[in-house]
Amino acid sequence: MSMPSSITSRWTTTAVAAVCIALAAFFAVTALGVGRHHARPAASAPYTLTPFATYEARAPHVLSTTVVNSDQGAVQGAAATPPSVLPPLPASAFNGPTAQYRAYAVGQLGLMESQLKRLQSALAANDRTGAQVAWRAVYVRYLRLGAVYLVGPLAILNQAIDGNASGLPGGTASPQFKGLHRIEYGLWTSAQPRTLLSQARLLNLNVRRLRGVLGKISIAPLEYATRAHEILEDAARDLLSGADVPWSQEGVLATNAGLQATEEVIATLRPSLMGRENTIPIVKAELAALRSTMASIAAAHGGRLPSNAQLTQAQSELLNGTLGGALEALSQVPGSLETELPPQIPQIPKRDARIEP
Amino acid sequence: MSELDRRTFLTRSAVLLGAGGVGGAGAIVRAATKTAEASAVPAEPTATQEWNVSQTQLSRREPFDGPHQAGILTPAPAQATFAALDSLAPDRKTLEEALRALSVRARELTEGAPIPLLEVDDPPADSGILGPSNDPDVLTVTIAFGASLFDKRYGLSPRRPRELIKMPTFSVDELDPAQSHGDVLLQICAHQRDTVVHTLRELLRSVRGTLQLRWNIDGFSGAARGPSPHNSPRNLFAFRDGTANPPTGDAALMNKLVWVADGEPAWAVGGTYQVARIIRQHVEFWDRVGLNEQENMIGRVRSSGAPLGGTTEFEKPRYDLDPHGKRIPLDAHIRLANPRTPATEDQRILRRGFNYTRGFDTAGQLDQGLMFVAFNQSPERQFATIQQRLSAEPMIDYITPVGGGYFFAPPGARGESDWVGSGLFAT
Repeated sequence: MSMPSSITSRWTTTAVAAVCIALAAFFAVTALGVGRHHARPAASAPYTLTPFATYEARAPHVLSTTVVNSDQGAVQGAAATPPSVLPPLPASAFNGPTAQYRAYAVGQLGLMESQLKRLQSALAANDRTGAQVAWRAVYVRYLRLGAVYLVGPLAILNQAIDGNASGLPGGTASPQFKGLHRIEYGLWTSAQPRTLLSQARLLNLNVRRLRGVLGKISIAPLEYATRAHEILEDAARDLLSGADVPWSQEGVLATNAGLQATEEVIATLRPSLMGRENTIPIVKAELAALRSTMASIAAAHGGRLPSNAQLTQAQSELLNGTLGGALEALSQVPGSLETELPPQIPQIPKRDARIEP
Repeated sequence: MSELDRRTFLTRSAVLLGAGGVGGAGAIVRAATKTAEASAVPAEPTATQEWNVSQTQLSRREPFDGPHQAGILTPAPAQATFAALDSLAPDRKTLEEALRALSVRARELTEGAPIPLLEVDDPPADSGILGPSNDPDVLTVTIAFGASLFDKRYGLSPRRPRELIKMPTFSVDELDPAQSHGDVLLQICAHQRDTVVHTLRELLRSVRGTLQLRWNIDGFSGAARGPSPHNSPRNLFAFRDGTANPPTGDAALMNKLVWVADGEPAWAVGGTYQVARIIRQHVEFWDRVGLNEQENMIGRVRSSGAPLGGTTEFEKPRYDLDPHGKRIPLDAHIRLANPRTPATEDQRILRRGFNYTRGFDTAGQLDQGLMFVAFNQSPERQFATIQQRLSAEPMIDYITPVGGGYFFAPPGARGESDWVGSGLFAT
């Protein structure tokens, strides 16, 4: 279900206005119906409201948000909110999807290792341009692992592979600063490429270590469902902002890798999502829009995705907007895949609940 | 000439000046140099007019002088700005004069007064953006010093408050040096935005060439939207902030938690450590998280502010009856921040933060967050201990601390002839 990108982007940019007007319409109607509020006579001509149905067709994911937010229960807190009308999925429904993704992730690490060899050759030859090209390939390959939560001992390994310098005492001078971003730092500043060879070898070792354990890790259903939107949330927060790629500024390329990982996750979840809250068609449409935005930007830059700094203002707005639209759609995925109803929260015993001033 | 006559006279001369240009009126104005310019008597609001600003509120004062500085226990008003300054002073004496000037000007502005008229060909004594008279508007100016002021430049290191260090980089931090640390921190608070803007401009003018801006950020409080006047305002994650603050009216408690005492240099006694942190909140991301998950991360009901399982904001969360986190998860923000055990009672801090919003980043994401401010007696025992506990809270994905620093707010000035920080320079 692909759509022309120009139309999609217009939908996305009208989304915020749509939700505002839709809410205004909702409250205006409510106020009139209940009769509690006496609106002041408008000084100028009244707003002309666009029919609600128009937005239903144009911005389906925004419509679903509107319904949730205008529900009185939602503003009263989760405990007072009616639970999802969907029957919970059995946790076993995630066995297939997570196994599929794990196999895919292990494959990506294998590819990463062969690309690392190219990086090492370029570094050994002191070839900065060649090494930068190889670094880009290695980096985006690692980002394809997006849906794997690397926690516990794996978090340490992840830090060694993809950790950045912030938060480390001494920043870039810290001996703890290593891996992809240590090499990025060297390649895009003045370091002699060949001095980075030992870092690349260490990186290779850590990637091989990760590949050894990745096939055996378990991915919890809730985590996997959440990753469907968190991969691109990370992109919006850390990559397009440049925070995680301060030297190469390859945020667009990195976001594209996040898109590919997200598409992989959605593909595995598709059977489970079918028929649940219309999520799949909306997500598919928004991801397709993001893909075509990426394609149009690459086309405008000679077939290669530009760095953050090379985006024109129009391209930057288009990408940020389309990504935002995709994220709003993806944020519906975890809720559509609940495996259990939220447990009832026990009340604080009144007998002991002294009220503080 | 009586006070009333003189005011009337000056009003007339001001009108003359406005109408007739500088010509003949110049002499009159020159004669009136250093006396007060009076405002025209404002027209009484008619029944159909409404002031958008309460005139009573504009005339309220918060005293600058006292045993402790204002703006610490003072309830947070609607508006604030924080400005970190670096000293360019070539020597200790120049620094001392600049700090004295800050206090003198801050005192004038917090008291409120008509603007003195200078010679007409001179730049005016005051920017005048509040009109011919500066209303106090519960303005407070809180002056604090950073660790760098105690380096080798001015020979102040022997007098450094014991725990005043450059703010460490905590594990979640991505501190930008251009928005971090500084020699002096000004915290300016008032009800109206223009009062705050005016005060910053006037204070900077008073120390031009000696204290130079390093970073600046504006803050605002969520409005008091009830249901009762006591309910805490909301931060930009929509949760009430400040619920568990220790009561500022309890002087004995403030002596235990806020004001420094024994063990600190004599000049510092009665002061407090001010932790100021610019914490970006990734609000778009937050808005895409299920309400249930949001509430479990914080540990409170979003609408009422009650602890989960409760109904009102100030209800006790009773962790003692919930050892396994069935009601409030063990890693919920409120539980890690203040576990409410006898052992953690003396770790409590006095928070006085403000929300901020300042445009958006290159990814089109709003740059909004919290100008976190905590006053405490010992950052090591209090703030840093809490921060360590919070290092693994689930909320860290949604926030990025990007700036701020550790500062020390000295005791208040003792009166007109004194100034904040004078004890540091006493011989």
